[in-house]
Amino acid sequence: MTNKVPRSSRSALRRLLLVLGIVIGVVIYAYGWTATDISLDEVQDPVRQASVQRAMRELLSPDLFTRDRENRSFFVDFAIGCPDGDLPEGRTDTGDGAYVIFTPPCADSDEIITVEGFHFPADAIARIQLYREGQQNMPFRLVKSDAADAQASDESVFDLDSDGHFRVSVKVPRGRGLSGQTHQVEIQAAVPSGWPRLSATTETVIDKMIETIFLALMATTLALPVAVVLSFVAARNLMRQITLPLGNVLVGFVLLPVGGWLGYQALGPLGQLGVRWGKDVLPGLLGGAGALAGFALVSYALGRVTLAGSAQRVRSVALNALLVAVLVFILGVLGGLGIWLGGKLQTGLLADLGNFVGTLGTLVDLIIATLAAVGGAMWLSSLGASLVAGPMRHIFSPLSNVLGAVLGALSGAILLAMTALFGTQAVLLGLLTPVVAAALGGQLAVELYYLVPGARKPKRDRTDVDQMIHTLLYALGALLAFAITAYAIDLLRAIVDERPPSRAMIDLGLFEMRTYVAKSALIGGVLGGLAAGLAGTQVAFPLGMTVYNTSRTILNALRSIEPLIMGIVFVIWVGVGPFAGVLALTLHSIASLGKLYSEQVESIDAGPIEAIQSTGANRLQTIVYAVVPQIVPPYIAFTMYRWDINVRMSTIIGFVGGGGIGFLLQQQINLLRYNQAGVAVLAIAIVVSILDYASAAIRERIV
Amino acid sequence: MLKIEHLTKIYDSGVRALQDVSFEVPDGQFLVIIGLSGSGKSTLLRCINRLIEPTDGRIIWNNTDITDATDEELRQIRRKIGMIFQQFNLVRRAPVMTNVLAGRLGYTNPMWSLVNHFSAEDKRKALEKLNRVGIREKAYIRADQLSGGQQQRVGIARALMQEPELMLADEPVASLDPATSHSVMRYLELLNKEDGITILCSLHFLSLARTYADRIIALKDGRMEFDGLPQEIDDKRFKDIYGEDAVRVEIA
Ligand SMILES: Nc1ncnc2c1ncn2[C@@H]1O[C@H](COP(=O)(O)OP(=O)(O)OP(=O)(O)O)[C@@H](O)[C@H]1O
Ligand SMILES: [Mg+2]
Repeated sequence: MTNKVPRSSRSALRRLLLVLGIVIGVVIYAYGWTATDISLDEVQDPVRQASVQRAMRELLSPDLFTRDRENRSFFVDFAIGCPDGDLPEGRTDTGDGAYVIFTPPCADSDEIITVEGFHFPADAIARIQLYREGQQNMPFRLVKSDAADAQASDESVFDLDSDGHFRVSVKVPRGRGLSGQTHQVEIQAAVPSGWPRLSATTETVIDKMIETIFLALMATTLALPVAVVLSFVAARNLMRQITLPLGNVLVGFVLLPVGGWLGYQALGPLGQLGVRWGKDVLPGLLGGAGALAGFALVSYALGRVTLAGSAQRVRSVALNALLVAVLVFILGVLGGLGIWLGGKLQTGLLADLGNFVGTLGTLVDLIIATLAAVGGAMWLSSLGASLVAGPMRHIFSPLSNVLGAVLGALSGAILLAMTALFGTQAVLLGLLTPVVAAALGGQLAVELYYLVPGARKPKRDRTDVDQMIHTLLYALGALLAFAITAYAIDLLRAIVDERPPSRAMIDLGLFEMRTYVAKSALIGGVLGGLAAGLAGTQVAFPLGMTVYNTSRTILNALRSIEPLIMGIVFVIWVGVGPFAGVLALTLHSIASLGKLYSEQVESIDAGPIEAIQSTGANRLQTIVYAVVPQIVPPYIAFTMYRWDINVRMSTIIGFVGGGGIGFLLQQQINLLRYNQAGVAVLAIAIVVSILDYASAAIRERIV
Repeated sequence: MLKIEHLTKIYDSGVRALQDVSFEVPDGQFLVIIGLSGSGKSTLLRCINRLIEPTDGRIIWNNTDITDATDEELRQIRRKIGMIFQQFNLVRRAPVMTNVLAGRLGYTNPMWSLVNHFSAEDKRKALEKLNRVGIREKAYIRADQLSGGQQQRVGIARALMQEPELMLADEPVASLDPATSHSVMRYLELLNKEDGITILCSLHFLSLARTYADRIIALKDGRMEFDGLPQEIDDKRFKDIYGEDAVRVEIA
């Protein structure tokens, strides 16, 4: 078709479009120019030029070193307001072999005189001032140019040459009652003595720099374990294979809160008992050893008996439960011991160690109940899912649909009730409920479509039309579910008026519940029940990819928040200081290391994984034996790299109160002490380039 | 007895790698699978221990349906099926010993194995297996410092640690020179003859297959093209399997 347009007019059109494009481009660029206030007026302003020059000069003259000075004073007479009669002599001896010549020999206040001195201490730094008994001394300020109307500068300090000679123009000071008298003028000469040493500023800067390096190190090491774990669940190649029948997944999901509750109730107190005993040391040590020995004994004794099929399963379940309990108890004991040790180690070098274990112990004490709940949830959930795995295989439609509906309704209700509980906290979190409902609704629409005979096909058999119908229906269902949920929980009010959801309660007979949560749970139950009921328990559920997508989303969201902003939040929480910086950088490092690590996992050789799997190893063993050896070198390299980045970032975090050298730098800049700020800037530059070089070298060697 | 019934594998990309493949392997047989590149040999072997999930059909071994096993049951089954690979698939940064011990992972207490702890019995057994494949002195060398033939022997030792009843070998000698190929194949033969391990081995070269196989199966585009004794493959059958233009290449 376009071929019919004559060639010349086509190229003319293209040229026109090009010109138009350039014009539009220039206009947009010009807007940007104005929007960013680019202006030459400020740049040329002499006042600003002078201040920037001063700032730069001082920044580049860092106050690095200092040395002792010996101050010597020389006194001479000088008359302000020349007396009648004979003029005093211009040359005045100080009595120490040095002498000065005033020209003119006497002068009124504000007049400019020249002072020349001979045989003063060589290379001294000197100043001239009016000495008045019991009153403040008044400096003779230096005049830079020789012009008659020259202004005095702020400075009064000048250098002597190696012969102890100087010649300066100064302004005679003005003051009440000075005129008409002869005064003592003090010439102070400071002679450097002793060895140069680090200035007080440098010492503070080194102190803060060490704090910064450790701040970065703490953030990196604290982020490390979390990022490592996250990197496995955020690696597509490991997660893709994990699919389970929907029924097993739902059973596991429903058991999560049950296990959490059980863990909290049963294991929590056990852990706290461990902490209590650990604080008393002896009971803790005995109890811990006893628990371990008991477990070893029981597992050995039970291991001797050969059991058949299901009995063996029961045994391994019981042993696992016992192991979890023993581990929680021992963790508690360790926490308690930490608290005890922290109390004992209070002096000297060990004080730091004491603080460290003490804080760790307290942390264990604080979170052990939560840990027990999480552990219980995971244990019961995986136990349930694996126990039902066998029987579930023999449940077919329609029973599998009924079971799916029941489990789906329960799971949906639990899921949306949880998101709703989150949603009560803040407006944006309130979006979570409708979004999750939308995902369920989309799936439900697709499942409804599968009721059409022959519609349910595996992905590989779908034609483009099939795929389109799928996408369309999914979108439609999702939209509908979103709208209904948003209406039900009054999302509009939350978003537009920024009001928290209503606090009304509803009486459910057995217990009371917030209407908001109850509504969400109801919607979740209906959507989940219908979708899972239609799908049946036998359908494969991509558990791995669900976990993968969720963790990737969280990592990406975390990474997109600047550490500076996290820093501000943590300063509000834990106050100004390096701890806030550590927390902010830890959070950011988790996200960023998690992403970098998981990309490494994704690029490993799949061969060893196949080989280890084929020996009958379980998932954890496969990761330890086939994945970990391949990723250790790049993990070390990335960790070094991250430490390097964290040092850089912690200099910035300091500006918002996150401690470290940034905090110092900000204070000095605010006080216009650029000489001192220069030291901090220099220190940052040196440390960053050393780390940069070191981490590059290490990375090169390892990878 | 291994029974493959109507095995079909269609990859997500739509490739039909196996179509309705059925055969039986009696215990103690040395079965060689031949076929052109892309004919589905690797897919078939990986379906048997479910490194790849079959799309359709059943695999029954000693009266258990492997295709129907839960994760836990599958692990129990895999313990008894050794596998060796064309690319050896060793953990290259780990010492030979660790690689061989990994063969015991299905039997050991998961907790202990996570911290690389194996029983003295397992360690003794690992050295014995290494001895059997003739590289005992390499036990504490890193795996990537061995030659290809030595690496494959580590692979065999690892599989032997499982005390397998069935051994799957996916082109075990494809990246080795002819002489080394024969030495590796002879180890497999030894396992078959002395230990009575059933062997399913895929090979490229018909000459190797003829030397070692009790029976040959040929795949072509995912279908069974031939199933019979090595000496039954004449020129016509050869052309059916490898295509009209193929020329026989002998391997010494
Ligand atoms: N993971 C996969 N995803 C999609 N298609 C695959 C995958 N693996 C193999 N295939 C395809 O399946 C077919 C059979 O492959 P397979 O690896 O089983 O052949 P093979 O006989 O082992 O070949 P070779 O001798 O080259 O190893 C090929 O067409 C291949 O492209
Ligand atoms: Mg292959």
